[in-house]
Amino acid sequence: MNPGSIPTIADVLATARPAYDDLAALAEDVEDEWSYINDLASAWIERIDAVADARGDEAAPAGAAEAIAALAIETAAIDDPHRAIDWLSTFPQVLLIAIGERP
Amino acid sequence: MRFQDASPDARAVVYAGIQAEPLVARAAGLLADASLGQRILARAVMNGMSTDPLHWMAMFPSLFPPTDVARIGPERARSEVILAMSLEVAGRGEQVRSQVRGAIVESLTELLVRRRPALATAPPTAVRRERRILFDGVRAEIHPYDVTVEAAGGAEAIDCKWGARGINADVLHQLDDARTHAADEDEALAATIVVFDAERSCAVRLERQTAPYEATRLIALETLDRLGEP
Repeated sequence: MNPGSIPTIADVLATARPAYDDLAALAEDVEDEWSYINDLASAWIERIDAVADARGDEAAPAGAAEAIAALAIETAAIDDPHRAIDWLSTFPQVLLIAIGERP
Repeated sequence: MRFQDASPDARAVVYAGIQAEPLVARAAGLLADASLGQRILARAVMNGMSTDPLHWMAMFPSLFPPTDVARIGPERARSEVILAMSLEVAGRGEQVRSQVRGAIVESLTELLVRRRPALATAPPTAVRRERRILFDGVRAEIHPYDVTVEAAGGAEAIDCKWGARGINADVLHQLDDARTHAADEDEALAATIVVFDAERSCAVRLERQTAPYEATRLIALETLDRLGEP
């Protein structure tokens, strides 16, 4: 994304991805839930990728880039892997709402 | 099949105190009329880290669009109230807020179930909390159901969970057992699990379960309002 340009939905989703990956990595500390965590993250990444394929070239709605920045700050503050598991579900819901999609 | 109050053990006494908190009833009332986005906001904030409302407003631009302060619409005003309430829950400390969240989901479930047209003229005791269901010749379950509908012809056992991770074999077995024991007595009993989480996350969790769940109705964050439908 060029500085100053209007981000696309693909830009916003790509920006969010590292924070989601970090969240999944933290959640994996709960070893008993390892496969659930990976299945959960895969299911949501599949949904997010589908949105990127369908609407990636569209301009992101107003406030979406700021929303993703705030979301990344919020999840970066999480240090409890159990909370991270819960946020593996919450994160994509917030992300999708920010770009005008139903989860 | 008959319903019975759960025995008042230590856990029940402590939890009854949580359920009786005015914050729980207020939260349930707000969430009963909330949009999906507002419910996701509540879910995020109640399990969030930040206590700064502006941070959350930035995260939900569709709920908090820039607006002239003098012309805040009813939906944005409702979002602000839900945000403030959710921050209040989050501020309760880690262990207590977990209990409060659980109580809110139960209270919300009860509230929505009471909206069913079929229960409009039913006595208040048609919908109860923390009840056991007893069957002839079957040992009673230790854990009571979070919400029960005890109306003739519309009996239902409902368990409530904050997140998809709360779905487990014990809960699914208990719900399915109640349904099948009722059928053995020629009674109809619907089994429902209410999860304050996305349907997609619930589906991932359910796919991993070996316990029977095909006959148990799932109500997720997106479908909460169905609780009030016929």
